[in-house]
Amino acid sequence: MTGPRDEFLSEEDLDIRHLSDDELSAWWLLWLQLAQASNDVDAGAYSHGVFEWDPAVPRPPHPRR
Amino acid sequence: MQNPYLALTDAFNRGALRTLLSSGQAVVMHRLAVMSKDGDWILREDPAAVEHVLEVLAAHGARYRFGAPLDLRWLAGGWSAHLEFPQNGLRIRTDFVSRPPRISRDELQAMWSAATDTGDPVVGLVPLAAIKLTNREKDYAVVGELARAMPDPSDQIRFSRSALDLLDLARQHPELVAAIAADRPALASIGKGRDAIEAALDHERRTLMRNNEQRLQAYRRASEAWATIWTDLQREIGTLPLHEAHAKMVQRALGVLPFRPPEIAP
Repeated sequence: MTGPRDEFLSEEDLDIRHLSDDELSAWWLLWLQLAQASNDVDAGAYSHGVFEWDPAVPRPPHPRR
Repeated sequence: MQNPYLALTDAFNRGALRTLLSSGQAVVMHRLAVMSKDGDWILREDPAAVEHVLEVLAAHGARYRFGAPLDLRWLAGGWSAHLEFPQNGLRIRTDFVSRPPRISRDELQAMWSAATDTGDPVVGLVPLAAIKLTNREKDYAVVGELARAMPDPSDQIRFSRSALDLLDLARQHPELVAAIAADRPALASIGKGRDAIEAALDHERRTLMRNNEQRLQAYRRASEAWATIWTDLQREIGTLPLHEAHAKMVQRALGVLPFRPPEIAP
């Protein structure tokens, strides 16, 4: 295909395919460290599996409520 | 510092293949995007594998989150088990299933066989795309990129999220599109042009999202009683070593959390 194409992820996301193994490892670790900033907000959330929210964790107020 | 999820995968699989790295961290391993801070593994349905993984998690001081026990009686019913621990300033979350959604028994067996043959404990592009057909919009962007990375055009045709890609594939492989159309009704719109394919892909995505919502609702309904006792149970087991916490969790879950939701087919 030579014309325009549908875009799904950003070039920045996809750029990890050009990283060496060491560069990917370092970026991945840095990303994980930065992502800890949202730990309080998603304390009860699930990224995988069949559960959606931990009943022991109060849901944070919705930002638009 | 080694990536904690790769280190855990190594530890889980030391001496034998027991787990497959799945979902977001598998997406990273396929070099598509870094987009999840939690780890997700498919666990082999072997009691010795479960025991080994529990030992690894216990050595890290892991604690249970709300979820099913890491026990094959529940995992074989499609439930997920969730544990977490802190490590070097990171919150490490470990999520486990043994029956990933939208993967048949034969496909699951093929995944284990492929991983055994290649020594690569990362879920492959095709099953990863099936697992990612969730009720979250963002996962469909990942499926679109996964499809583009698939070497087999038949798999691209089965999973592509792009009307332009599908038009291109139809020009190159009309016989494959015709053969796969029975399993993927959206492909019937290819002869009607880009707008029609895009509408069909949107409809397909909404249907897939609703299907997954309904699946999760079945698990939510089946875990309502478990949810009501969880806060007290977590307080009770939260400070115990993992093996003791696990034994209590199993004991309390019996009779409260069904092995399989009644609406979920074996």
